[in-house]
Amino acid sequence: MAPKSDLLQGTLDLLILRTLSGEPMHGWGISQRIQQLSKDVLQVNQGSLYPALHRLEQQGLIEAEWGASENNRQAKFYQLTREGRRQLAEETKNWERLSSAVARVLAGL
Amino acid sequence: MIRHLAVRVASLFKRERMERELDAELRYHIDMLVEQNVARGMTPDAARREAMRVFGTMDAVKDDVRDRWLSRFFQVGAQDVRYGVRNLRRNPGFALVVIVTMALGIGANTAIFSVVNGVLLRPLPYQDGDKLVVLHHGQGDPVANDLGFSPKEMDDYRQARSLSGVVEFHNMFFNLLGRAEAERLSTGVVSANYFDVLGVKPLHGRTFVAADDAPGAPAVLVLSNKYWKRSFGGDPSVVGKVFRMNDKPHTVIGVMPPVPQYPLEVDIYMPSSACPFRSAQSTIENRSARMLTAFARVSPEVAMSKSQADLELVANQLQLQYKDFYPHSEFRALGVPLKDDLTRNFKSTLWILLGTAGFVLLIVCASIANLLLARMVRREREISVRAALGATRSRLLRQLLTESLVLAVCGGVLGLVLSAFSLTLLVNFAARFTERAHEITIDTTVLLFTLGVSVMTGLVFGSIPAFSRRVDVAPALREGTRTTHAGQAVRSALIVAQVSASFMLLIAAGLTLRSLMKVQNLDPGFKTENLLTFRADMSFDKIPLTVPQPEARQRRSIYWTDFEERLKAISGVISVGGGGTFPLNETNPFPNGFEREFHPAVPGSPQPQIAFRVATADYFKTLSQPLVAGRPFAATDDAGAPRVGIINQSAARKFWGTDPPIGSRIRGLPSRPGGQPGPWTTIVGVVADVYQQLDQLTPLDEVYVPVRQVPQFGTTWVLHTQLSVEAAIALIKAAAHAHDTDLPVSNFRTLAEVRSTALAPRRIVVSLIGMFGLLALVITAAGIAGVIAFSVNQRTHEFGIRMALGAPRAGVLSMVLKEGLVLVSAGLALGLFGALVLMRVLGAMIFDAPAVAAGPAMPPLKLLVDTTTTDALTYIGVALCLIVVALIACLMPAKRAASVDPMVALRAQ
Repeated sequence: MAPKSDLLQGTLDLLILRTLSGEPMHGWGISQRIQQLSKDVLQVNQGSLYPALHRLEQQGLIEAEWGASENNRQAKFYQLTREGRRQLAEETKNWERLSSAVARVLAGL
Repeated sequence: MIRHLAVRVASLFKRERMERELDAELRYHIDMLVEQNVARGMTPDAARREAMRVFGTMDAVKDDVRDRWLSRFFQVGAQDVRYGVRNLRRNPGFALVVIVTMALGIGANTAIFSVVNGVLLRPLPYQDGDKLVVLHHGQGDPVANDLGFSPKEMDDYRQARSLSGVVEFHNMFFNLLGRAEAERLSTGVVSANYFDVLGVKPLHGRTFVAADDAPGAPAVLVLSNKYWKRSFGGDPSVVGKVFRMNDKPHTVIGVMPPVPQYPLEVDIYMPSSACPFRSAQSTIENRSARMLTAFARVSPEVAMSKSQADLELVANQLQLQYKDFYPHSEFRALGVPLKDDLTRNFKSTLWILLGTAGFVLLIVCASIANLLLARMVRREREISVRAALGATRSRLLRQLLTESLVLAVCGGVLGLVLSAFSLTLLVNFAARFTERAHEITIDTTVLLFTLGVSVMTGLVFGSIPAFSRRVDVAPALREGTRTTHAGQAVRSALIVAQVSASFMLLIAAGLTLRSLMKVQNLDPGFKTENLLTFRADMSFDKIPLTVPQPEARQRRSIYWTDFEERLKAISGVISVGGGGTFPLNETNPFPNGFEREFHPAVPGSPQPQIAFRVATADYFKTLSQPLVAGRPFAATDDAGAPRVGIINQSAARKFWGTDPPIGSRIRGLPSRPGGQPGPWTTIVGVVADVYQQLDQLTPLDEVYVPVRQVPQFGTTWVLHTQLSVEAAIALIKAAAHAHDTDLPVSNFRTLAEVRSTALAPRRIVVSLIGMFGLLALVITAAGIAGVIAFSVNQRTHEFGIRMALGAPRAGVLSMVLKEGLVLVSAGLALGLFGALVLMRVLGAMIFDAPAVAAGPAMPPLKLLVDTTTTDALTYIGVALCLIVVALIACLMPAKRAASVDPMVALRAQ
């Protein structure tokens, strides 16, 4: 197992929201997708993923529905709500501001 | 937004489903991990192990997820509560009124429930207390017609197979000698295995063993915890000490732990072999010596119904075998759970009290709901603004309900405090009815009850206003719009409900009050002023049981005559009366079968019953009980002279009719087959009736016989004296000591005290119901005033127009009053109907209290005495009272309506 990627809570939320911006996905799919897109740099710990999903669901940012998965089994699919989409846009903006700020500081040294 | 609420509510109510779903979701994840591992070339087993390792413990993940569900719920809840408290703090007056009203309702209910819980609900604090039963046997209804048990019958019932222990108890008073003062002790005479069957272990020393109960065994005593603390200061070294009692030394072998004592509190216990009466051969062999109470433990694993069948079997066999002793047409035996037996006489009173307290709570609910409704209208704008800013209907509802709950819980806590303060009073009250009174505390059950009732009440009074109106944004926001009267109908309905509930409660209070007044005003037939009573009990060893009857009687007669002379010699004592008991005393004389000379009882018909009582010559004079015919007892009516008796008027009327009683003779009939009838007794006088018990409005039929002819071991004395009570007691004690150092005198009370004690249970119950009724009346009056005031406020504009158009002020006044009266009349009509139905249902409970059964507990309180449930005076009085109170409540707002200045009202628009 890769070193525990201690993602900041807000960051994990952002990644989940981003991952769900395309199509509905189940928990397993989300963790696979994040790992894949980050080229295995970010490995999502299941211990944080599911609590995060349930928290986002209660905040009304995502909603869940049971459906058939690719291998034809019942799985819980999550998708963004309207509010989730708005939150994603805002958080993405925040993140970009933050990361470019960090980049500028690092470059200035 | 609705989704939030849905998820949160779901997390409360659909917990199980959510758990299942979470499980399925995580399992899917693990399965996918396994598949991935297999795809990478692992064996399925290794793949699963690896997956589990990576995933970590599933429970930890689940716990984390569950935390999310909860924290979110509490977060929003806390926010609602904070907002609610802030809101209420802005209206401290309103909050105070609601909380105090609520506290009164909750306090009343908690207090009564704590009694119900301690006395009726809690299991007996004995090991497997539910398996303990009290045995009864007798004709038809064995509880009502209980015969009591004789030693022989105890042995018979030990044959019942499903009972693992059958033990006896009877209460005696013995004098403990060998300490500074002779002490008269209430003694429980029990079987050796009594404590084992009850499951009580001694605190010090040991309890009885079989050897202690063997005939001729050295006499031993076990002290009750209370007596041990009171008289020996809790000194454990008392175990092993020897005291004189009856005719032999008694050794203290043990001390009881502080457990409740059933069937009654006694000072000491002794095994049956130590009791001179119980151990006498004549008692042991007499199948009719039914002096015992029988307890039994139903074997574990045996159902109550099975043990019942076994008891019936024994009873049937007894009747077959000893036909003469059981001439009853339907002789039955019954085992009643001890718990029920101890509270039999108190149950109906308690349920009625809890019912009335419940009524108060309903009225409180309606009243607070009304207050909240009125407040809602004032908060219309605030609510509309919040709705306009995006608060959903459910969010607003939740907020309103949370506020109600905050109020309810505050009121509940205050109510709990109120009831805690009244606890001592309630214990004393209940102690008059049941030995279990001392188990009344505010325990977890009571706390849960209070919390539950508070929350329920909060939800009820909170949801009535919350659901009775729509949240309409637009009209409410528009400036100057008159609010609609959507809530008015609900408010009126609530008032009608309050009035009708109050009416029913006040009817109950009125009827019981009428009964109390009737009992209180009853002339008991004797004087109670300046009369002091006490007991004096001769030690049984003064005249050993071996002394033959005529001589023993002679010696007892002399003993008491000497004592009487000493009492008379006390300066300041006007007159001295002695006897077995006195009116209003707890111990009633038992009726006995008798026959008149030349009027033998008709065979097959029940024997006429009369109560035999003993009295000294001056007894009637001392009590001012007038002699209506014949002569009083004389000094010459002594042990050697022919037997004489004095009957009361009731007996004369009933058994002699128009025959002159004086000069005729009667004799007592034996209670057991083959027994000897009593000696012929000549009636020499007739006295006026007295009421032995205040609740019995018909006097007992009585015959008095002279103490000199029928002297007892225990006597009761009544002194007419001008001395202060303290001085008299000191002088009486000195006289008793001079007469016989072993003669204890006890139970000093004035007759006025005795009368007030006899009245106390009724007075307390009536005061409680009356207090609840008054509470209901005040709350309802406040509710009516509030609603009318509110309606007047809302219609100021309308009144302005009416008056501007020429309506006279008196017209407006009467219009408002009429509005109030319509509500009250509707409430009265509904209440009248309710009261009649309720009284019909409760009638049996109030009137037909079960007959007084043998036992030490006080008989059930008949709430209504000489008063019917449809007593017209009470109904009219209560209705008038409610109308007057309602009118006064309406008058203030009505006056304000009439004083509206049309110009001001219209300009305010």
